[in-house]
Amino acid sequence: MRRDRWTALGLAAFAVAYLAADRRYPLDTLATPGPGLFPLIAGLALLALAVWELATAGARRARKSTGLVPEPPSGEARQAASGRVQAPASPRGPLLMAAVLVVYVAVLPVVGFIVASLALVFVSARLMGLAGWWAPAVLALGITVASRVIFVSWLGVPLP
Amino acid sequence: MSDLFVALSGPNLFACFLGTVLGTIVGVLPGLGPAGAMALVLPLTIKLGPTAGLIMLAGIYYGAMYGGSTTSILVNVPGEAASVVTTIDGYRMARRGRAGAALAIAAIASFVAGTFSVVALQLSAPLVARAALAFGPAEYFAFALLGVVVLANLTGGSRAKSLAMVVLGVMLSTVGMDPLGGTVRFTLDVGGAEAGFSFIAVTAGLFGVAEVLTTMASPESVVAAARVKFRELYPSRTELRRALPAMLRGTVLGFVVGLVPGPAATLASFVSYGVERKVSRYRHELGTGAIEGVAGPEAANNAAAGGGMIPLLSLGLPFTPSTAVLLSGMLLMSVTPGPFLLRDHPQVFWGVIGSFYVGNVMLLLLNLPLVGVFARVATIPPRYLMPGVLVLCVVAAYSDNNNVFDVWVLVAAGIVGYFMRALDYSPAPLVLGLVLGPLLERSLLQALTIGRGNVRELWASAPAAVMLAAAVLVLFFPVVRRAVRPFRAA
Repeated sequence: MRRDRWTALGLAAFAVAYLAADRRYPLDTLATPGPGLFPLIAGLALLALAVWELATAGARRARKSTGLVPEPPSGEARQAASGRVQAPASPRGPLLMAAVLVVYVAVLPVVGFIVASLALVFVSARLMGLAGWWAPAVLALGITVASRVIFVSWLGVPLP
Repeated sequence: MSDLFVALSGPNLFACFLGTVLGTIVGVLPGLGPAGAMALVLPLTIKLGPTAGLIMLAGIYYGAMYGGSTTSILVNVPGEAASVVTTIDGYRMARRGRAGAALAIAAIASFVAGTFSVVALQLSAPLVARAALAFGPAEYFAFALLGVVVLANLTGGSRAKSLAMVVLGVMLSTVGMDPLGGTVRFTLDVGGAEAGFSFIAVTAGLFGVAEVLTTMASPESVVAAARVKFRELYPSRTELRRALPAMLRGTVLGFVVGLVPGPAATLASFVSYGVERKVSRYRHELGTGAIEGVAGPEAANNAAAGGGMIPLLSLGLPFTPSTAVLLSGMLLMSVTPGPFLLRDHPQVFWGVIGSFYVGNVMLLLLNLPLVGVFARVATIPPRYLMPGVLVLCVVAAYSDNNNVFDVWVLVAAGIVGYFMRALDYSPAPLVLGLVLGPLLERSLLQALTIGRGNVRELWASAPAAVMLAAAVLVLFFPVVRRAVRPFRAA
């Protein structure tokens, strides 16, 4: 439950920062409410919920879920449902992929959609375990050209 | 009513076909889900125009409900949350060699429920819209508040976590232009942020990019799907006779649950399974491969998808991520859903409803003969699919406002979404908070202004008072129940 406490602390910190930023906007009166009123209510609500979560995180071991509906079947739930044996979750892949995405967005306005997306598909396919150089290269070319043709040429969607 | 036949025009039929095929594929593939897929194809649908575009989006929405059952039955992997319960009996039927019958019953149940829910939607949506004309800001505020509170209670996991995500979504919705005064807020002087966080970028990030990152965390092995021959797709007379009552119960139940804010389709399938365990003549067989365990939940989740359209079309209030994307699509196409939709855009209103009839027939025709093809789609390794999902996410995010800021939002939402999944926070409440935030703010401030600062204006009318009381009750009921329990036990 330590993880829940840290998350609640993070949410509380976010709420405090948000409320501090909200001080720039006038509250005015209830009859003529200013742009700061609604964010004030929302920020206080998140702070209260974070404090509540912080207080109750430890006492929630026994009753794991209060909802009537299970989470969408992703990750562990899906593994359990399928009964398939999977490799243990490792944060290395997602962190690497996140870094690749950050670099992608940074270079997107400079090199344009085609070049950036070719590189993105190639690198992400390799990171996901597509072996060799040819298969990722063909996949990258196929996906990028198809999206360029469909969205830019056919549908007129402007891309950088 | 004659506008109902708009759905039969060539372009609209094609849009419906494309939507239902895409929806079935999305339902078959675990992970992405209908909301994420709808967000990804928004740029395409906008180019099709309001009627065809919305028909295609709606096709993806209910097509996913059909497709989700295929992999649940054949490979024990639910394509989306609403089909989780189908794995229990569906997969066991497949292992007993009755995969074809289970698939056929799932498709027929989906068709029956889908058609029933469209008839009910067609009859009730205009009535609700007419009643909603009497709604003022206070009533809208009360209804939206009740919606998010109920949603937080029904979403899986901790209630406090779900509520926190709703509020976080509402807070994110305050970035950019204030809906009444036009003041630019919380942009930190970042270029492109004045328009606020793009709903499409956030949804594509939370559902699409986060799914890619999650897949990278635990690369899955490819599974083999059972092959089903066309001649095996006939359920026996006994199976049909046993499935029918469960199908009808699931249909009515699903439609009613569909009106409740929250993950209605998933909830409906679980409630239906629970009802079958109580009332079915063959309840002792449930869990061992009983046809009722497929027919009931599959009918319920499809009926719920239709029921969920009523608050969207009649009131302009989406209570599921999928209907939130539909709302977003409507607004991008300059169509405002709500009480005036029928008056201002009758072709869109009736065209979409008409397409539900056509779509249900298409899905039945598609799902029965092509079931083997769809099942094989589920076995395509993620390393071929996920890079394509990333590129589609980027196109969807960028094309919303044609700026790179939204692509940054997409990536940030993806990373946040990945950690949210790891920490048991559901993304659905955040998405709905983001959509309902401006409505909550606008209606609250308008009600206060109308009441000249008198807070009692918020519950001055009977409907608003009832809805606010219900929201308070739903919010505090579990806390009070927990506090009272020790005294009752003593």
